[in-house]
Amino acid sequence: MALFEARGLCVSYEMADEPGGPAPRLENISLCLERGRIYDLTGPSGAGKSMLLRACAQMMAVQSGTLALNGEDSSAFSFQEWRRRVSLVPQHASLVKGTIRDNLLLPWTLRVNRGAQPPSDEELQGLLDAAALGVTLDRDAAKLSGGQAARVALVRTFATKPDVLLLDEVDAALDDASADAVGELTERMAAAGAACLRIRHRASDGRAAEIFRLERGILKRQAVA
Amino acid sequence: MTGGVIDIGYLELFAASALMLVAGIVSWRLALGQEKNIAVSTVRVFVQLLAMGFVLIYLFQYQSWWLVLIVILAMALCATQIAVSRVKNQVRGLWLPVFASLLCSSVVIAFVVVEGVIQPEPWYSARQLVPISGMALGNTMSATAVAIDRLFSDMDSRSEEIFTLVALGATPREAAFPSIKAAVGAGILPTLATMSAAGIVQIPGMMSGQILAGADPVIAAKYQIVVLLMMSAATTLAIVLICFLTFRKRFSKEGYFLDAGIR
Repeated sequence: MALFEARGLCVSYEMADEPGGPAPRLENISLCLERGRIYDLTGPSGAGKSMLLRACAQMMAVQSGTLALNGEDSSAFSFQEWRRRVSLVPQHASLVKGTIRDNLLLPWTLRVNRGAQPPSDEELQGLLDAAALGVTLDRDAAKLSGGQAARVALVRTFATKPDVLLLDEVDAALDDASADAVGELTERMAAAGAACLRIRHRASDGRAAEIFRLERGILKRQAVA
Repeated sequence: MTGGVIDIGYLELFAASALMLVAGIVSWRLALGQEKNIAVSTVRVFVQLLAMGFVLIYLFQYQSWWLVLIVILAMALCATQIAVSRVKNQVRGLWLPVFASLLCSSVVIAFVVVEGVIQPEPWYSARQLVPISGMALGNTMSATAVAIDRLFSDMDSRSEEIFTLVALGATPREAAFPSIKAAVGAGILPTLATMSAAGIVQIPGMMSGQILAGADPVIAAKYQIVVLLMMSAATTLAIVLICFLTFRKRFSKEGYFLDAGIR
């Protein structure tokens, strides 16, 4: 049984600048993600890749389709619980005011994580180091560069140990070395049992077990090079 | 009835509308295009205030609790209409929450003040209830419109942060909370500023009115103090209510943020 399963997802909506009724954007999309694996999602820009990730995280209205985690239908979870376990990291993830520690512990201020033990400073520092971030937890988050902030946002989601990671071009703003560190960290998350679906525009880094291509609303499986 | 009050003759009253020529001439010379607006506002201030005066005379003569209640409800309805029309952000379905928060804040607090502090006889005395509810409504009306604008602008400017929070499992309330805090904080300040300046920079409107009407200035001051305290309580309550009643309009029922792209 797949860890994550999407069946028959259809998304259509109307854009303000092209009237004439809702147009289909994603047609009958099905995909399965297995524990411990990394998947890449490619396709021309505007094909609806981000939209697909949003639909998987239940952050977008879908016309039809079902989602399941560990064989359990998404209706068995609260929306918040679903998103905690199927976590989307947006391309422009933002940090809140405060130190890096404040940012990394932000998820534990939410009700969905109430009662859960927040990670220790050692654990958090370990994750920062693995992402090649040469910074300490007490650093003011406002003083980070764009690339550093993107990695801190990523580490924040990693620290919550979701079952499924949906990464929306998180390495787009990074130099090659940092992008590689993020890839390595993603691999570590997968090794710990997560399934990762990444939107990437960079050349394949060989970490993906499968590559999906989304074009004109249709999802196709591509041969891994 | 008119103890120390010097009445204004109707001739003088209409002559005073010549004061609006100042605004009219400025608008004409600077081509502001506000001439029509100025004329309409002038007519409205005459019609509405004189009508209110006649209604109050009638009300004082034949007052009964339900008549007073109807007048106050009608005032709350008008305040709702004005507040909703002042909101600049596009938000649908504001009528009911605005009406509810104006009613629960202004009218309830005005009632508490009239019955608890002034204690008129009979308890539904229109002479106290109507003007005090009116003052509370006028203040909360403006504060509510400003608070809604502030709340929604702040949420829209935080849309990426809210998206990130929701993706981490935040409820709409948790994701919106910083914006609610900002809106409430900003909404409380003007009343506090008025309170600090009262008596030094200006004699507030109600106290001036009472003094002009021949009341003892110290009694007028006492009333003004109570009214300012009431305004502070009523605006704070109104802003908190309206923020909590409306923030969810920027979220879908599944709890994700409706940013400008998918609204």
